[in-house]
Amino acid sequence: MKRLAERLVWAVLVLWAVITLTFVINNVLPGDPARMVAGPAARPADIERIRQQLGLDRPLLAQYARFMSRLVHTPRAAADDVPDKEHASCAAWGQLHIDLGKSYQQRRPVTTILAEKLPRTAMLAMAALLVQLVLGVLMGILAAMKRGTRADLGIVGVSLLGVSMPTFMLGIGLQYVFAHRLKWLPLDGFGKTPRENLLSLVLPALTLGIFGAAYYTRLVRDEMIGLLQQDYIRTALAKGASRYRAVLVHALRNALVPIVTVVALDLGALVGGAVVTETLFRWPGIGALSVNALLDRDGPVILGTVLLTSTAIVLSNVVADFLYVLLDPRIRASSGDTPR
Amino acid sequence: MRWIRGKAKLFYARIACSGLAMALMASATAGCREPLAAPIPSAQSDEASPRRGGTLHLASFGDVRGLDSVTGEALASQMGELIYAGLVDLDAKANVIPDLATHWERTSDGLTYTFFLRSNVRFHDGEELTADDVKRSMERALHPTTPNALGSFYENLAGFDEYTTKNAPELPGVEVVGRYAVAFHLKKPDATFLTLMALMPARPVCKSAGHRYVDTWSPCGAGPFKLLPGGWEHGRSLTLVRHEGYFRPGLPYLDAVNVTYGMNLVTQRFKFEAGVLDVLRETLQADALRFQNDPRWKPYATLEPSIQSFGENMNTEMPPFDNVEVRRAVACAIDREQYHLLRASNVSAHTHAVPADVPGYNPNVPGQKLDLAEALEHMRKAGFPYDPATGRGGYEPHIEYVVQRQSFGEYTAQVLKQSLAKIGIRIDIRAVNFPTYLALTHRRHRVAFSPQGWSQDYPDAIDFYDSLFASKSINDEDSSNSAFYKNPTLDDVLEQAHHELDPAARQALLDRAESIVQGDAPWAFTHSYRFVNVRQPYVRNYRLHPSWTFEVREMWFDRIKDVMVTGALGPLLRSRTPERAGMATRRSLR
Repeated sequence: MKRLAERLVWAVLVLWAVITLTFVINNVLPGDPARMVAGPAARPADIERIRQQLGLDRPLLAQYARFMSRLVHTPRAAADDVPDKEHASCAAWGQLHIDLGKSYQQRRPVTTILAEKLPRTAMLAMAALLVQLVLGVLMGILAAMKRGTRADLGIVGVSLLGVSMPTFMLGIGLQYVFAHRLKWLPLDGFGKTPRENLLSLVLPALTLGIFGAAYYTRLVRDEMIGLLQQDYIRTALAKGASRYRAVLVHALRNALVPIVTVVALDLGALVGGAVVTETLFRWPGIGALSVNALLDRDGPVILGTVLLTSTAIVLSNVVADFLYVLLDPRIRASSGDTPR
Repeated sequence: MRWIRGKAKLFYARIACSGLAMALMASATAGCREPLAAPIPSAQSDEASPRRGGTLHLASFGDVRGLDSVTGEALASQMGELIYAGLVDLDAKANVIPDLATHWERTSDGLTYTFFLRSNVRFHDGEELTADDVKRSMERALHPTTPNALGSFYENLAGFDEYTTKNAPELPGVEVVGRYAVAFHLKKPDATFLTLMALMPARPVCKSAGHRYVDTWSPCGAGPFKLLPGGWEHGRSLTLVRHEGYFRPGLPYLDAVNVTYGMNLVTQRFKFEAGVLDVLRETLQADALRFQNDPRWKPYATLEPSIQSFGENMNTEMPPFDNVEVRRAVACAIDREQYHLLRASNVSAHTHAVPADVPGYNPNVPGQKLDLAEALEHMRKAGFPYDPATGRGGYEPHIEYVVQRQSFGEYTAQVLKQSLAKIGIRIDIRAVNFPTYLALTHRRHRVAFSPQGWSQDYPDAIDFYDSLFASKSINDEDSSNSAFYKNPTLDDVLEQAHHELDPAARQALLDRAESIVQGDAPWAFTHSYRFVNVRQPYVRNYRLHPSWTFEVREMWFDRIKDVMVTGALGPLLRSRTPERAGMATRRSLR
């Protein structure tokens, strides 16, 4: 428990540092958000008026203080601070509210925008992770068991090809073959019914998953090859265990230790969205949102997406650490954190 | 050593795999070079009468950020034209025509315009539109708390300054003179006033909008199409449906207009060929050329009016461009035809400040032209003689040329570099992202040389001269006059052109303005960009528009019952919305 509390305190500090750094970078970068809102045709007087409306005419410290004070507050604080209370949208979390302000461009609460995008990004992330895991682990095990054979060479070659292929090329190729030519699947978008959603998910999940699967294949293969030479595997085989049982029961659990770590980290990163894939397949997720926000200098949305992504990564790191301890008794013993 | 060899092997293997991957994908997508799908024919002959029904499906790579008439967003103005009706509108030649107003009267001094409204015009919510709504909408649009990017366009209205900066309770420049009559009072005569009244901020909005802008108001006007609850999904799609109470009987013919946002260009083409999209506006260069050159598609691939002007912007406050002779040399040295060849489908060489389809453009005013001998002579006059044979002389310091990354300007920069090398001007190209490009190039004393473009805000030549070359458009930051060019004579000519109401006399003033900027060359005008617009033949009454892309009100569909053509997963995909299923449709003629 003490260790967990320690990790969580660090996590909060890391998040604060990331947010502060993002805020500073966002404000020192060239490019005027008010100008981006007004458009190139706007005249200076109009741009200045929009700048005042967005609160960008205030000193940087005042903007930062306002952002941080609104970030996590009680409903009373919100009432004091949010100018248009009737339209303020906050994500309630017990007695605390998270208010990230309004998007400069869309003029909607950032929490509302993120709440719209997050489920879709999570959906794509989980589907891609499933593809990565199923394909990667199976191919990795197969390559390790057939080490040195043509099958092994073939799998390694294909995985190298998968890692080397640019995501957009793979995506366009899949679109062309399965949607445009064969007409099996939708070209892009996000449906309105669960069935349409599922079909829309296939191609982006494959695009995102194939790259990861190629990486997992090599990871599992290398790990497995090392494990299959361990004494305890030889002992299991000598005791009459079948080769498959030795691999799937005895070796796989240990091979999963590094995989779990990578999966947890991948999941955190995937919550940040997959920019290329989301853009290509018009998947309404966090990735495309954050890139557009960056190009538009939409400060509140940039900060919102950074906060969300960094939270996901920090949390997935914490989870990975604890899974690591759970899966590997040696780490548990060395940390002196033996669970009851 | 072995480790290094192993790593090197892996490195080369990865390079080989990357190449192989590219080759595989290239062959997989070789279909890009397969013949285009045939156009989907219309059901009836050309003489057929218009029919009601159908949904127009469009797509865009961009996104519409707001649909309120006052936010003045370019991408939204095409949709705004459908949602909101104005007192006046613009026809296909950008002439001002009556719309909500049956007619208007102008006083002899040119300071008051009185508009007489149609009676019994209904907003989308069923309320009647009266002169009070016109005044309320104008005051809402110009209120200081409204994020109106075009507010300054209406600064000539009487009382504008007091209303926008001193919290005056009302705008005296707009006066209700009857239930269906409203007068606009100006400080000075203004030749562009009627044109400005056709823009979105001047269009009346429903009573539900109130007197002040709020973010959450649902767009509502008196235009031919209306937005229903749930019709707009931010960043994804927008669906507008016919306003049955539209004041023009029988119009619009279409049931609805649907726009999908954020769709990449390849997908747009695939969907257009499959008949899921009815009009294609955003294309890759290669696709645009194929549509233009395919005899089956040629009649349906049209270039939109030319309303954008591009050029090489020279900061007249920074060396060497503070010397007019250097600017003239640059204007004479550029081979504009090369710009055209870079994107032959929709870029044309252009030598004037004003694009060809903007009212006020006069081709008879001589434009800048390629003449290397003259360019070298200008360099000599500037004090930087250059000998092309030896490569000696010219302007020795390298000039930083700031360009937006991944823009057409990044390609033209190479042409420019080679063109200017012939007269002894050397440039270093620096590519930056769009916000950085905007911030740097429109800030004083920051960037000497950059490509710039201007798209019309409203169809009048003065929009270009005013925004790009008038002294009043100079600011330390966000300067639309990014050449920081000052010429009192030009300012005076433009001021006169603003207030001159006689068309012939005004054209003469505009011609003079063009001659001045041609001679002083704050820009070397280079090209004009036009979108290639491709439609399916069943889209009838299809007319391009210089301000609203195309005229939707009288467009109609001559299409037939859809027969689904599905692949192996067809039964799974069967749904009421084929475009969602992303499948091809084939139409059998009735």
